[in-house]
Amino acid sequence: MNSVESLVAQIQGLSGNIGELTQLRNYLKQSDDLLRTESTRLAPLLTELDPSIHSLGYLYILEACTSTPISKDQSNELVLSVARFINVCSTEQIRLAPDRFVSICRRLKEQVMLLEDPVRGVAPLLTAIRKLQLSTEQLTTLHPDFLLLCLLSKCYKPGLSVLEDDVFEVEQPRDLFLYCYYGGMICIGQKQFRKALELLHNVVTAPMPIISAIAVEAYKKYILVSLIHLGQFATSFPKYTSSAAQRNLKNFSPPYLELVNSYSTGRVSELENCVLANRDKFESDKNLGLVKQVVSSMYKRNIQRLTQTYLTLSLQDIANTVQLNSPKEAEMHVLQMIQEGDIYATINQKDGMVRFLEDPEQYKTCEMIEHLDFSIQRIMMLSKKLTNMNEIMSCDSSYLGKVGRERQRFDFDDFDTVPSKFNI
Amino acid sequence: MDFSALNEALAFKSYDKVADICDTFMLQVASEGVSFHEEWPYAIHLIGHIYINDINSARFLWKKIPLSVKESQPEVSAAWKIGQRLWIKDYASVHEAIREFKWSPQCQGIVAAFSQLYTKRMFELLLSAYSTISIQDTALFLGMNEDDAANYVLQHGWTVDLTSRMLTVKKQTIATEQKLDPSKLQRLTEYVFHLEH
Repeated sequence: MNSVESLVAQIQGLSGNIGELTQLRNYLKQSDDLLRTESTRLAPLLTELDPSIHSLGYLYILEACTSTPISKDQSNELVLSVARFINVCSTEQIRLAPDRFVSICRRLKEQVMLLEDPVRGVAPLLTAIRKLQLSTEQLTTLHPDFLLLCLLSKCYKPGLSVLEDDVFEVEQPRDLFLYCYYGGMICIGQKQFRKALELLHNVVTAPMPIISAIAVEAYKKYILVSLIHLGQFATSFPKYTSSAAQRNLKNFSPPYLELVNSYSTGRVSELENCVLANRDKFESDKNLGLVKQVVSSMYKRNIQRLTQTYLTLSLQDIANTVQLNSPKEAEMHVLQMIQEGDIYATINQKDGMVRFLEDPEQYKTCEMIEHLDFSIQRIMMLSKKLTNMNEIMSCDSSYLGKVGRERQRFDFDDFDTVPSKFNI
Repeated sequence: MDFSALNEALAFKSYDKVADICDTFMLQVASEGVSFHEEWPYAIHLIGHIYINDINSARFLWKKIPLSVKESQPEVSAAWKIGQRLWIKDYASVHEAIREFKWSPQCQGIVAAFSQLYTKRMFELLLSAYSTISIQDTALFLGMNEDDAANYVLQHGWTVDLTSRMLTVKKQTIATEQKLDPSKLQRLTEYVFHLEH
C-alpha cells in the first residue's frame, strides 16, 4: 500500500478542509523515508496534482524532488517549477509545512545564484515571504535571502518595499542580523541614509554572545553612514550594546576610526590624506564608494556649519573656508544643498553673496499636524507593544526562575531575619 | 512578451507609472525564465525612472544592462546620458543630452514630457535658491536661449536690469492649506490632556 501511487491518491483525496489536511500532513510526515528513497521517481507524479489545490502534497513531493543534487540543465527546470509553485500555491496549505516551504525557496535561491541570474528569484521570493508570514511584523527566515537576491541583481527598489515594514517578531537572531545588514546596504544604494543608519545600528547594538563577521562589516558601514548623514560619529557605544560588541568591534576597524578622527578636524585635505593612506583597506572591504561619499559630505557639513555663524557671506569667502577652488564651485554646492533641503539660503549673483535663512517651517500646516498625529500614534502603538512584551516576560516561568534564584543569592531583604530578632 | 500595460501607460501619457510597470514586469518575465534582454525597452525604462526623479534606480538599471545591448542600441546610452548628467548634478547639460539625440517615435513622447517637467523643476529651483541671477545662467538652467529665458521668467513677475544683465527673482508666496479639521485638533488636545493627568 505504501507506494508512491497511493501517496498521490491520498493527496488527491485529502486536500479539502483543514481536518483532512492535518491528516494528510501526518501521513506525509510518515512517508518521509519513502519520499527520500524514491526521490528520483517522483517528478512525473507532479503532473497528476494541481499545485493550487493540492498545495501541501505538491510541496512535499516537490521538496523531495529538489533535494537531490542536479545538473546545470536541470537547475533551470527546477527554478521554473519552484517559481511557478510559489505563485499559485495556497497560502493556508503551505503554512502547515513552513519548513518544507522554506527549504524549496532556499533551493530556488541557491540555483539562481548558481545560474548567475539572481533576478529570476526576486519576484518569487517576495511572493513567498508574503505567503509565509502571518503578519508584516514577522521576520521570516526568507527575508535575508530575498534581500541578498535584490542586492546581487541590483533590484534595490523591491527590497525597499519589505524594509518599510516594522519588524517585531524574530525567530532566529541570524535572520535579523543579515536582514539588517543587507537592508542597510539597500538603503545606502538608494541613498536613504537615515533608514540605513537605523538598520546598521540594530546590527551593532543587538544582543550577541560572540562577535560575528556580520557585526564587524555592519560596524564599518555604520561609521561611514553616520559620517555622511550626521557629520559625526560617537565612538562610545550605547549602554544596551552587548559586551562582546563593545570589546571587539573597534579592534576590527582601525582605518575607519582614523577616518572619524580626521573628519572631526573639518579639513578636507586631512581627510583626503587619511583616505589615501587606507585606500587598499577600504577597497578590499568594498567600501571605497561610501568613503568617497564621506569626503564629499564634508564640504556640505562645512558649509552647513557656516550657516550657524553668519547671516550673509560672499561666495568667495565660502570657497576659501571650505577649500573649494572657485566662487562658482561654491555656488553650485550651495545650490545643491538648497535643492536637497540641507540649508535655507538665497544666492545673490549680482553681489556674489549668499544670505542664510531660518527654516521656514512654522509647524502649523495641515500636513504638519497630520505628520505629528501619525508620529504620536506610532509611538503609542510601540509603547503598548513594549508594555505587552514586558507583561509576557514577567509571567514567563524561566525568567522568573532565573530572577528568583538571583534574588536569593544577592538580595538581603529576602532573608527572613525578623523571627530571630523576636526570639531574642 | 506582452507590453500592453506599458503601451497603455505611454498612450495615456501616464509617464509617472512607466518605471513601476517596467520594474514589475521585468521581475515577472525574469522569474518565468524568459531571456528578455534583447527585446527589453531599456531606453523607455531608464527615462521612466528619470521622469520620476529616481536617478538611483536609473543608475542601477544601467548597471544591469548587458554590454551587447548598450553597444547595439544607441538610444539606451543616450537615455542614460541624461541620467548621468542628473547624477553628477550638471544641471545645464541635461538639456543638451536631451536635445542632441534623435529619439525614436516610441521615446519621443516621454522625453518631451520630461524635458518640459525638467525645465519647470529648474525654474522652481532658481526661484527657491536665488534672489538675483544673470540672464546667461538662467538660460543655461532652463535650456533656452537668453531671450526666451528672459521672457519666460518675466512672465512670472521677475524683473530685469538690462545694464548688468541681471534678473531679480520674484518669490511666490506659496499658499498652503492651513484650515484645520477640528477633529484633528481635538485629538491632539486629548493627547496633551492625557500626558498632563
